[in-house]
Amino acid sequence: MKRRDTLKLAALGAALLTTTALLSTGHAMAQDKKWKIGFSQVTTIEPWRAQFNKDILAEAAKHPEVELIITDGEDKTEKQVADVENLIRQEVDALLVSPKESAGLTGVVQQAIDAKIPVFVLDRNVDTKDYTQFVGGDNKLIGRAAGEYAVELLGGKGKASGNVVEIWGGMGTQPAHDRHDGFHEFTDKEPGIKYLLDQQSGDWKQDQAYNLMANALKSNEKIDLVYGHNDPMAYGAYLAAKDVGREKDIKFIGIDGLPNEGVQMVNKGELTATFTYVTPGAEGLRQAIKFLNGEKVEKTITLPTQKITKENAAQVLKDNGL
Amino acid sequence: MTALKLLSRTKLYWGLIAIFLIGVLGSPVSSKGNNIFLSYGNLLDVLRQVSTTGLIATGMTAVIITGGIDLSVGSLMAICSVVCAMLLTVPGVTPGVVLGVPTVAVVALCLGFIVTRFIFLNLEKSRAGADASRDARLDRARGLVTPAIVGVVLCCLSLWYLLPQVEPKFGVLGVLLVAPCVGLLFGALNGFIIVAGRLQPFIVTLAMMVTALGIARLTAGQNNAVLPVYTGSNATEDFELLRSMVFGVIPMPGLFFLGAILIYGAVLRFTPFGRYVYAIGGNEEAARLSGIAAGRVKIVTYAVSGLLAGIAAVLYVAQYRQGKPDAGAGLELDAIAAVVIGGTSLMGGRGSLTGTFCGVLIFGLLSNILQLHNINSNLQLVLKGMIIIGTVLVQERNAGDLLAYLRLPGAAHKETAAAKRPSQETRSLNLGGNKK
Repeated sequence: MKRRDTLKLAALGAALLTTTALLSTGHAMAQDKKWKIGFSQVTTIEPWRAQFNKDILAEAAKHPEVELIITDGEDKTEKQVADVENLIRQEVDALLVSPKESAGLTGVVQQAIDAKIPVFVLDRNVDTKDYTQFVGGDNKLIGRAAGEYAVELLGGKGKASGNVVEIWGGMGTQPAHDRHDGFHEFTDKEPGIKYLLDQQSGDWKQDQAYNLMANALKSNEKIDLVYGHNDPMAYGAYLAAKDVGREKDIKFIGIDGLPNEGVQMVNKGELTATFTYVTPGAEGLRQAIKFLNGEKVEKTITLPTQKITKENAAQVLKDNGL
Repeated sequence: MTALKLLSRTKLYWGLIAIFLIGVLGSPVSSKGNNIFLSYGNLLDVLRQVSTTGLIATGMTAVIITGGIDLSVGSLMAICSVVCAMLLTVPGVTPGVVLGVPTVAVVALCLGFIVTRFIFLNLEKSRAGADASRDARLDRARGLVTPAIVGVVLCCLSLWYLLPQVEPKFGVLGVLLVAPCVGLLFGALNGFIIVAGRLQPFIVTLAMMVTALGIARLTAGQNNAVLPVYTGSNATEDFELLRSMVFGVIPMPGLFFLGAILIYGAVLRFTPFGRYVYAIGGNEEAARLSGIAAGRVKIVTYAVSGLLAGIAAVLYVAQYRQGKPDAGAGLELDAIAAVVIGGTSLMGGRGSLTGTFCGVLIFGLLSNILQLHNINSNLQLVLKGMIIIGTVLVQERNAGDLLAYLRLPGAAHKETAAAKRPSQETRSLNLGGNKK
């Protein structure tokens, strides 16, 4: 008994010493950086978020004076709030937050503002106006670009005609509504365009879109264009058409344009076009550094979208090192 | 020797002390030269962050001591958070009101009846023999009528308090009454099905977990988005109370957590009910034969577990300004982990709330330290898992057995470890083994 306890104590002491030693060495390295910038991300296992992190890390590599800390909220509000609290305690010079949802993160963002830390909100807004800057894409703008191109594909302004299948993202989500509204600003003006489905949602997922499209193909002889609210859904619809041998008579348009996802699909000729929903990672970090160096930054930055078709897909892939 | 004895007695705190020391010694130092981990704000952050899991784990401890398990707590928290946010933000008759107000009425009715009847029967027992000439039938009738009257009165009182609040929006006290009652009802339902249907707690609470998630989504309606609580002045001002610091020192959620631990801990340790809980976990058949109403005790533990989930939900809504169907997702597993780290056996009959308190704090401090050092989040998960295994090994004193298996030094202690370890039954009377 006695020996066991002493052994245990010794083991415990050794473990303590090694962990503290290990933990302390990590800090010696980060001392020579000028700025410490914290970035609270929602999750890392979704393609768009992974790209987001890749973009911000690539930008950070260009700025040797910056130490970037990325936290992962594991898709839970509680975890993300704890992450931001933690970054505040670490006294970061600037805080970048991409909120999982507006209401849940507002309190802690306010806390950071009260602690005199400049806050840059990325992609989704919070319910306060005291932040330093908001950087994000505009889904309505992207929807408009897609709608304009769809009209062009179906015969041009005033002459366009055809049957369109629109596959919605999640029904309760703002991005889906924005992508729908923007698209219809253009297509609703064309009397020749018919919509085959009434608000059918694929919940952003490829498999659900496949099933939706499979049913639509059975009940409609003629489908001219599919508009998916994101690339995986457009691709799911393409696969459904391919399985019944009708993919050649249909145009597929998606949104998001991730290099490793949508752009590849366009490059292979599976999707006709995709429109990029650029991640605010790189721009957000650039703006934060600009601000820390004493320059003025605008309150809101809206990121532009880019149309990707067969012509420029290969080039985009090359630019992203794929 | 006595010092060593004391050390092994307090082994529960070892993990906590060790984690704390690692935190202090390895803490990053801020640019101003402060020790970040020890900074006052950081430790309060930890207390606030663990309070939801802590409340859930508190209820879970008693359930696990009886030899059961409650997987539905996360989903119960989801229902209660949706109901709570709805009452606070949407005036008029909403699904939240339809679910919440009748629940309170039913709970008031049943509780009034049961508690009064319990007191009544105990009075009867103490009077029995002293007054044998009384008419037994009249007594029996009174034993039903009086409690029924009390129940109805309580029910009416609760409705009289709640109904006027439907049209404007509910205040903080109204919500603190409704949400825990909803949790209590579902928890009691869990217990009732387990006891009356003689089913495994695992499967019943698993089914309840799914059912409750569905109810939470139905209550929230088509739009599964967040219910804003404070966009502008959407909720009543006094709800801010739940996010404030008490006396400027302790965060309110932390106070609720500490309060729950203290009260429920005292109940488990010093009351007959607490002894019954341990007895049932030790050997349910024996407990039943010695005259313990095992079924009722079990129902109460599940009901309290639901009640605490309801309280946790109100704090969640206050803290994150939202109630939504995915609140509390996965929380049951965190709570179970904290309970087991705290030395409570999943076999039942052994454990304590002191241990659970330590387990919850170990978990919280661990996350905090890993995060302060900005360790890669995927690696964090690996480390957390390994530390859980390590802690439980030390807790159960099985580290020697594991080494023996690997034919490593330390194997010599194998037999002695087994022999020294008291059997399940004797240890169940030792109430967690960390007194003094």
